[in-house]
Amino acid sequence: MKWTRTLLVYLVLLTGAALTLAPFVLSVMTAFKTPEQFARRSSLSWPDPVTLENFGVLLTGRTEFGRAIVITVLAALLLVAGQLLFSIMAAYAFARMRFPGRDALFWVYLSTLMIPAIVLVIPLYLMMAQLGLRNTFWGLVLPFAFASPYATFLLREYFRGIPQDLVDAARLDGANALDVLVEVVVPLSRPIIATVTLITVVSQWNSFLWPRVITTGNDWRPITVATASLQSQYNGNWTLVMAATTLAVVPLLALFLVFQKQIVRSIAITGFK
Amino acid sequence: MAKRSTVIAITVAAAVVIVGAVGAGVAVLGSRDTGGAAGAKGDTTVTVRVWDEQVASAYEQSFQAFEDKNPDIDVKLTVVPWADYWTKLRTDVAGKSAADIFWVNNSYFADYADNGDLLDIDKTLGSDAKSAWAPSVVKQFTRNGSLWGVPQLSDAGIAVYYNKALLKDAGIDPASLENLTWSPDASADTFVPVLQKLTKDAAGHTADDADFDPASVTQYGYNAGNDLQAIYINYIGSNGGTYQDGDRFTFANPKTVEAFQYLVDLMNTYHVAPSAADTNQNGDFSRDQFIQGKMALFQSGLYNLKNVADGADFDWGVASIPAGPEGRVSVTNGIVAAGNAATEHPEATKKVLEWMGSAEGNEFVGASGAAVPAVTDAQPVYRSYWENQGVDTSKFFDVLKNGTIPAPQGANFGAAFGAYGPILEDVFAGRVPVAEGLQKAQDAANAALDG
Repeated sequence: MKWTRTLLVYLVLLTGAALTLAPFVLSVMTAFKTPEQFARRSSLSWPDPVTLENFGVLLTGRTEFGRAIVITVLAALLLVAGQLLFSIMAAYAFARMRFPGRDALFWVYLSTLMIPAIVLVIPLYLMMAQLGLRNTFWGLVLPFAFASPYATFLLREYFRGIPQDLVDAARLDGANALDVLVEVVVPLSRPIIATVTLITVVSQWNSFLWPRVITTGNDWRPITVATASLQSQYNGNWTLVMAATTLAVVPLLALFLVFQKQIVRSIAITGFK
Repeated sequence: MAKRSTVIAITVAAAVVIVGAVGAGVAVLGSRDTGGAAGAKGDTTVTVRVWDEQVASAYEQSFQAFEDKNPDIDVKLTVVPWADYWTKLRTDVAGKSAADIFWVNNSYFADYADNGDLLDIDKTLGSDAKSAWAPSVVKQFTRNGSLWGVPQLSDAGIAVYYNKALLKDAGIDPASLENLTWSPDASADTFVPVLQKLTKDAAGHTADDADFDPASVTQYGYNAGNDLQAIYINYIGSNGGTYQDGDRFTFANPKTVEAFQYLVDLMNTYHVAPSAADTNQNGDFSRDQFIQGKMALFQSGLYNLKNVADGADFDWGVASIPAGPEGRVSVTNGIVAAGNAATEHPEATKKVLEWMGSAEGNEFVGASGAAVPAVTDAQPVYRSYWENQGVDTSKFFDVLKNGTIPAPQGANFGAAFGAYGPILEDVFAGRVPVAEGLQKAQDAANAALDG
């Protein structure tokens, strides 16, 4: 009866794979269809003729999707740099330095994770408006350019796992806190740093609510908002939307293919096995 | 500790490179905000905000022509998509950062007019200016004796797109569509029998056949459904009912109830229209069915003309909407460009508004057939565009001669629409009796108006 079990397992796995992949296949198919075909024929029909029209409209038309991609990449770069720098320093302080109220402070900081992001939108918006940063690049990135509680938490847990002996040895050699962080802790923590980087890139790439609130028009909107803006009052423009999602997913796919090993390992690290 | 300095140096270098690259990128992207190459120093920038990409393309040509004539004024156009437009406008007007000129429609302008956020056009451009603009649009945007925007687009009226082949198969002469009458009184109604002939199930039975299976409809007769502009407001009007009295909602008006009852029966009793499950949430469903050749009659406005013309690969035509007990009464709707009362450049803003209200400035909108200009002298451009495409748009304009029902309006309309919308969905789905549902919708909408 072993083969029936194998068959069953594969059947379940294949169904799961099909359910997961079907939306992507459908969106890529739609991206290569003419709007006429999309309106006239079944949405499951194969693109005929295959057209690059949608991508052309996106990149050269009034949508300025190319600009949105550049903005998204710049924002991701800045956020990754900022979050890594500040989260690593904060995590080190929380993990290895001794000062009164350290743990209490950490738990208070961590508890901000429990506050739904949507609650913060209005205060953040008012702050940015006061600073005159509405509809600017800095308004888009500043609220998230510093440490995030989640990244700090992940890093702290990992840093705590590094043997104290190593730190003590470095101390004996005359290293100060910064030396220990840069030369002992960070080199030993590459896997978790890769994880934090990936989490930051992906969450930034997909963030929608804040950019939608803080930006107006084409000037500073990232790809998520640009994609949503493709739909007009009387027209869904689905072929354009799907071309946009196809373009948006390509960089992430490339990232995944390059860093496959690290990603799988990072999932193991964060415990979502 | 040589290694230490290298590591730190690399980290610092990387940080500098990233921040520098991002900063440079942002600077490049941002350079166009300041007017870019087009404007010299000292120029005044007037910002204009709209929600439609197609019209925005036309505006860009129009503003180019304006800038050629007024080299000291730059016009910066921003498109904020429809889905965000009203929420954005509200926060931006409150924060005094709205554009100098922005589009408003009939449903939302009253709030801003009442709050003093809009320039009074009669005072800004003179009260004679309005004689050049479509009277229906001027009337819509006149509130408390003043006009609150420069008319830009006019939707004209509602008409019925028909599929010639499907009519022919059913043995119906397109010319006979002009004689159809709908009525709450079944003996006076000539519309339902035609729709029944045009509706078919999978086995080929038409809707008037005893064997007709409403669960397997493959061809719909008509797009009765939860569509304010194309469907129900026109039925209310042509039955002598009302949608609003002033700003208050009047769904429970007996004539209005009859109109809704008729539509609900078309959907749920005669099954000649797609079910509410398909159309309540998806405004495009019926249009897609029509374009796919699965719907015989599709009642809509000029706003769908381009979609139908581009999408349909069969022969189609345009007929008048069915006459009701009060004849044919259609809604008509306009869009105006409103001046921001808080503008920092009142003189330049006035010049741009004048340009947008001139035939020369407004014509660009009609030239591509995307929308009907609201400046009367600019309208022939639109009609001739479609005549050249072999489409006669006269039915959309002629229907207005029989009388119109006002489009939704009033302060706080957005909140009222949010309150009554879901109740109407229940009415169309047959989950609530029509009269009871409409009373509830009226109460909810008026309660929302009161805040």
